[in-house]
Amino acid sequence: MTRRESKRSWRTSFLAVVRYELLWNIRKKKIIGVLILAFVFATLALVLPVILRNLNNQPIEPNPDYVITTGTGIGSFAFFLFALVSVMNSISGEFESGSITPLLTKPISRTTVYLGKIFAALLTVFGAYVLLIVYMAAGGYIIYGPQNNMHLISITLLGSIMSTLVWMSIVLAMGSVSKSSMLAALLGIGIWLGLNIVSGILSVFSNQAWILTYAPGSGASGTLNASGSGNQSSVSTGTDSIASILITYVLNPAANVTFYRMELNLSNPGRINQIPLYTEPLSTIVSRSIAVAAVYILVFNFIAWYALKRSQVAE
Amino acid sequence: MPVTFNIKLNIFSKDSLKLDGASVSLAIETVNLTKRYSRLTAVDKLNLNVSANTVHGFLGPNGAGKTTTIKVLVGLLRADEGVARIFGEEVSGDKPNVRFRIGYMPELPKFPKHLKGSELLDIYGRMYGLSQQQRRDELPKLFEQVGLKGRENDQIGKYSKGMQQRLGIAQALLSEPQLVILDEPSLGLDPVGMVEVRELIKSVLKEGMTVFLSSHLLFEVQQVCSHVTIINRGVALVSDTIENVSHKIKGPATLQIEVTKLTKTIVEDLKKLPYVTDVKTENNKVSIMLGTQNDVRPQVSETITNSGGTIVSMNLVGQSLEDVFVQLIGKAEEKGGN
Repeated sequence: MTRRESKRSWRTSFLAVVRYELLWNIRKKKIIGVLILAFVFATLALVLPVILRNLNNQPIEPNPDYVITTGTGIGSFAFFLFALVSVMNSISGEFESGSITPLLTKPISRTTVYLGKIFAALLTVFGAYVLLIVYMAAGGYIIYGPQNNMHLISITLLGSIMSTLVWMSIVLAMGSVSKSSMLAALLGIGIWLGLNIVSGILSVFSNQAWILTYAPGSGASGTLNASGSGNQSSVSTGTDSIASILITYVLNPAANVTFYRMELNLSNPGRINQIPLYTEPLSTIVSRSIAVAAVYILVFNFIAWYALKRSQVAE
Repeated sequence: MPVTFNIKLNIFSKDSLKLDGASVSLAIETVNLTKRYSRLTAVDKLNLNVSANTVHGFLGPNGAGKTTTIKVLVGLLRADEGVARIFGEEVSGDKPNVRFRIGYMPELPKFPKHLKGSELLDIYGRMYGLSQQQRRDELPKLFEQVGLKGRENDQIGKYSKGMQQRLGIAQALLSEPQLVILDEPSLGLDPVGMVEVRELIKSVLKEGMTVFLSSHLLFEVQQVCSHVTIINRGVALVSDTIENVSHKIKGPATLQIEVTKLTKTIVEDLKKLPYVTDVKTENNKVSIMLGTQNDVRPQVSETITNSGGTIVSMNLVGQSLEDVFVQLIGKAEEKGGN
């Protein structure tokens, strides 16, 4: 016992780590930079169509589904960027700077340290996405008039956070294992870029696009067949698309998605033939995407946690 | 007479753990503690006993294994062999309850630069379960104690090395722990900073705290500690009170005597004494090399008087802890070299 009276509990320890990490996150220049960048892109997404229409003397038509279809105004790349800047040095940075030594010698378990850190990163991302959604909702309302299905906005938020958490888990695992923020960032960027390039090629030209449903990222693209609605919008299956496919599913629960392979039309150069590969119910795609994301989150978080738990601090 | 180092065999006897006949609990205990970094054995079957409520120095040259031992004790490293206990509890694995009893100041402490000093101690205080009221009351006092008053709201990134050391001491004392472990607290500081930190340690230590102070600076240990363990190449060479260490293993002391008139008879009679190994003279001064650890000043005084001499002054010049340290390390190096 220490000689001071103590009200130590798991909760107080956990909240102390969350506070420790949050104070760091909100002062990280990288996070502030990415947030500013996200707002710039969101602003462009809102304003650019208006400018273009004005230039072409076209009136702005009301679009009651604008907010629900654009969500946070950010997509796959932004999910990855937010994940990267919020966790790339959460663990490895502490090892690099040496501040892990006083932290790990406090009376809190390494599991609590880990959980506190990832929770703080999630809170940071949550805060950023709430700001973006509110900004997009307000902008959408002002430009495109009253919006439908605003009650589904929480699904957008949760889906976006889950998508981001997949990348956070991957980057965190890289950092926790390598103890190098630089390596974590490079590996993370490498995985993200590699998957995007591979999925682009596989999704368009191969019969094996189904593989992408099991990889993190934007996944395979298909076309929605919503009977009765005539909705023929594009649907992605990957972990980056959880928010959009969840919204699509809530709005079109009985819809199917057909996946195509692209083939150059040799007899008519310049034209591309769409060859149907397979069709799946949207419900299957939604549940599988969530399950795949959950597996990645669990596996990579386990790796990151285990690496921290077993780490020795020699330096 | 050659100096022997047989004390190593006795230092861990149960008797050394008795104080006034009562059993004193051990704050730190290691049994055959071994830690290797691939081929290098940093700590080699270390047996260390630190009694509770003592200020115990852990002395050794750079690379002796002090920091490695401490890192095992605070849970930052895993031992390859042996056992380490803090107040009887094994430290292997992730043991928050053991660490709860320890206040640890790392060697050259590094704290998150983005936090303010006050924020850091507030968060660490929460980790120790201190209430809001306790933190509000105690943190300003602690900042004042360590000389950081007025700088607590600066970001740690703006702190000098000395200020970071002070913050390191503050966070180690935050919960008034039972055991304070300070690893090279004045390392990297200029001479003035070293004195300040040493004085700071002396002033902030409270009764009932066990302090384990690692240092390669002998005078630091000598000034602050009551007990000392000397370690080299991961092996404890000696461990006892500073007084006993100096006394038990010191080599031949020298008696420096000044007499009114130095005669041949006095010198001859002194040489006849069984414990006198050599006698040197200069004017009316005589230096007697003693081959005993006993206090033989009365017998020497009697001999001089019986030989017709009158003593003006007599000084027993023993070995300082520094001499002991240098000799021990030298011996160990020789042994290692062979």
